[in-house]
Amino acid sequence: MKKILFAVLVMTSALANAQDIKNDTIKTISVDSLETMSVDTVKTVTIESLKEALDEHSMKFSGLDERLATMDSDLGKLTKIKFSGYLQAQYEMYNYQDNIGPGPSTTAVPIKNTFFIRRARVKLTYEPLTGAVFVIQPDYAFDKVTLRDAYVQLNDKWLQTFKLFLGQFNRTSYEVEFSSRSRELLERSRMSGILYPQERDLGAKIEMDLDTKYEIPFKFQLAVFNGNYGEGSLTNNLRDVDNKKDVMMRGVYSFQFPSQGLGIDIGAHTYLGNTAVLQAGTFSDTNNKNFTAKVGDSFQKKWFGGEMRVYYDFLGGMSLKGEYISGKISGEKSSTALPVANSNPSFNFNGIRDFTGYYATLVKNIGKSNQIAVRYDSWDPNRHLAGDAVTIKEDLKYDNWSFSWQYFYDDNVKIVAGYSLPINEKSTTVGGDYIKDKLDNTFTIRIQAGF
Amino acid sequence: MKTTKIKLAAILLVVMAVGFSFTALNKITVKGSDTMVILSQKWAEVYMQKHPGTTIQVTGGGSGVGLAALINGSTDIANSSRPIKATEVEKLKARYSTLGVEIPCAKDGLSVYLNKANGVSELTIKQIGLIFAGKITNWKEVGGVDANIRLYGRESSSGTFAFFKDNVVKTDYSPSCQTLPGTAAIVNAVKKDKLGIGYGGAAYAEGVKDCKVKKDDKSPGIAPTAETIKNKTYPITRYLYMYLKSRPTGETKVFIDWILSPEGQKIITSVGYFPVK
Repeated sequence: MKKILFAVLVMTSALANAQDIKNDTIKTISVDSLETMSVDTVKTVTIESLKEALDEHSMKFSGLDERLATMDSDLGKLTKIKFSGYLQAQYEMYNYQDNIGPGPSTTAVPIKNTFFIRRARVKLTYEPLTGAVFVIQPDYAFDKVTLRDAYVQLNDKWLQTFKLFLGQFNRTSYEVEFSSRSRELLERSRMSGILYPQERDLGAKIEMDLDTKYEIPFKFQLAVFNGNYGEGSLTNNLRDVDNKKDVMMRGVYSFQFPSQGLGIDIGAHTYLGNTAVLQAGTFSDTNNKNFTAKVGDSFQKKWFGGEMRVYYDFLGGMSLKGEYISGKISGEKSSTALPVANSNPSFNFNGIRDFTGYYATLVKNIGKSNQIAVRYDSWDPNRHLAGDAVTIKEDLKYDNWSFSWQYFYDDNVKIVAGYSLPINEKSTTVGGDYIKDKLDNTFTIRIQAGF
Repeated sequence: MKTTKIKLAAILLVVMAVGFSFTALNKITVKGSDTMVILSQKWAEVYMQKHPGTTIQVTGGGSGVGLAALINGSTDIANSSRPIKATEVEKLKARYSTLGVEIPCAKDGLSVYLNKANGVSELTIKQIGLIFAGKITNWKEVGGVDANIRLYGRESSSGTFAFFKDNVVKTDYSPSCQTLPGTAAIVNAVKKDKLGIGYGGAAYAEGVKDCKVKKDDKSPGIAPTAETIKNKTYPITRYLYMYLKSRPTGETKVFIDWILSPEGQKIITSVGYFPVK
C-alpha cells in the first residue's frame, strides 16, 4: 500500500512539473532581427536599462533599509517587555472528619475531594532602560483576581551593589521570597503562613548585594512596610490603618566550596512592627490572661530568626534547609466594623503571644527529571502554655509532616504529588476535635505549566 | 486503610522515579557560547569517531542561552565564555539543589578589531571602554582621522558581550553600538567599514587588524598572539568554561575527562584558542 501511495505521489509531482514547463514555452526570436541592430544601439540600451535597474534596486534597498530600521526599533522596544507566568491546577483529597472541608461551610454534604486552581499568575516586567524595572503580577484565582506584585525597581548603576524597590512586593524572608513556582513542597510552612500571610505588603526596600561588584557573597535587605494584612478582593485592601510602619531586615552570607560540591547559606532576619487597636475590647496576654485594650493601643510584633541551607552535590544534588523564628506576635480579630487589613487572617483573635516556629526540609534530586522532598515544621503560637493548660484552639501547637515528589516533564511543565499531615497538640480543655489529633490530612496532585 | 494505600503508592512512585533516572544514556547535549561552537564541534567530532556508540549534539545560541538551558534541564553541558552569574547559581540551587560544576576548558584572548585602513593601531583599555560606552565618538580623539567611530558588538545573550562589558566597558554599551549575531559577522562588518571597531575572539580576526591593547598610558601596546594570551601579558584574556548541573557521571564524565586530557587540549590550538594546561 505504501509503495502504491509513493508511486502516486511521484507521478503527481511529475505531472505538476510537466504543466509548469508547458507554461514556460520559449518565444522564438528571429536571428535576422538581431543582426540588423547596430552595436551602438545595443550598448546604449544596455547601459540605460542597467542604470534604470540599478536605480530602481537602490531605491528598493533604501526603502527596505528604512523599513528594517523601523522594525528594528519596534522590536527593540518589545524586547524590553517580558511576560512570564504559571498555572497550578490540582486535584485534592481530604480525610477531614468534620464535614467542613476547605469548601463552603456546610455540614450537610461532606467534601472529600475537589479540583482546584491554586495559582494562575502572569508577570509583566518592563525594563525601559538598564537598571529601571517595572513589575506587575496579578493572580487570577478561580473566584477572585488579586494583585500580587506591583513595584518599581531601580538598580544602582555606579556601584552595581544597591537596588531600591517601591510598591507591593514580598516580605524579606527566605521562604516567602522563594517562588511558589520553584518550591519543592506544595505549600510553605505553617509558620510562614501565619507570620507572613499573603507574603506581600506595601512598602519600600533597599537591597545590597556585594557579590556582583566585590565578589563578597553577602546580601542585605532593609524594608519598611505598612504592616497590613489586606487580602482577597480589592475591597478588603486599605492603604494603611495607622501611622506606624513595620521594619524588616535580613542578611545572608553564602559559603561556597566548589571542589567539595558544597554550598552553605547562613542568614538571619528580624521583623519589628506593631498592631494598632482599632476597636476597644478584651485582649489576652502571653499567658492567656485577659485585659482591656482601648482604641489606639499598640502591641508588639517583634521576632528574630536564623536560617541555614546546605547544598551538596551528592549523587545528583541534595539540600537541607532550615529556619527558626521566635518572638512576639499580636493580632486583632476582624469584625464587620473593623478593617480586614488590620487582621492577620491566620492569627485572627485579640491577643499577644510569645511564639516559636521552625522547619527543616530535605530535598533530593534524582537524575534530571525527578525530585523528592520531605519537611518537618512546627508552630507553637503560645510557648508558655501546653496540653490541657491551653484553653483556646488558636494556642494549640502544630507539627506538620509534608512530602512531595516532583516530576519535571519538560522545560515548562512539572507534575507534583504531595501529602501533608498536620499533627495538633491535644487539649481536653479546648475539647471537641482537639482531644486527639484532628483528621486534616491532604493528598494533592498538581500540574504546573509555566512560560 | 486509605492512608496505607497512599503510602504504598508514594513508595512505588519513588522507586519508579529512581529506576528511570538512572537509565543509561549515550547522548550528550552541549549548548551555549557561540565563541565555543567551533571548538566544541571539533571536540565532539573527534570524540564520536573514537567512541562510535556516543552521540554528541552541539548547538550555539550564546552563553546565557546555554546556561538557561542547563537550568531548565534541556542540555547536559552549557558552554560559556563568561563565568556563571550569582543569579544563575541561585536558579541551579532551586532546581537541582547544587551549585553547578564549573570546568575551565580553554583560554581565549578578546581582540579589538580595526579596519586595516584605520590609522589607529593601539589603544588603552580605558580608551576602548570609553569608545564602546559612547564617551569617545570621534577617531581624532584617539589619534585617528576626524570621523565618527562606528561600533559593532554582540547581542546581550552573548558571553563575549558580558565579559567585554564587565572587564572593558564597565558601564552600559553605547546605544549606537550595532549588535550582530556572532563574531564572524562583526569581523565582516569591520572589514568593510574603515571607521568601524568591534570585538571578539582572537581566533576570528581574519581580514581585519588586531588593535594593540595597553593596560594604561605608560604600558606598551600588546597584540593578541598565542604567546601573549598564554602568558597573560595581553590584557583582555579569559577562560572558556563548561558548566554542568552536578558532578559528571557516565559518558559525560568520560567526554569531559577526554577534553581535559592532552589529546583534547591539543585540539584547542588547532581551532585558534589556547589550552588550560
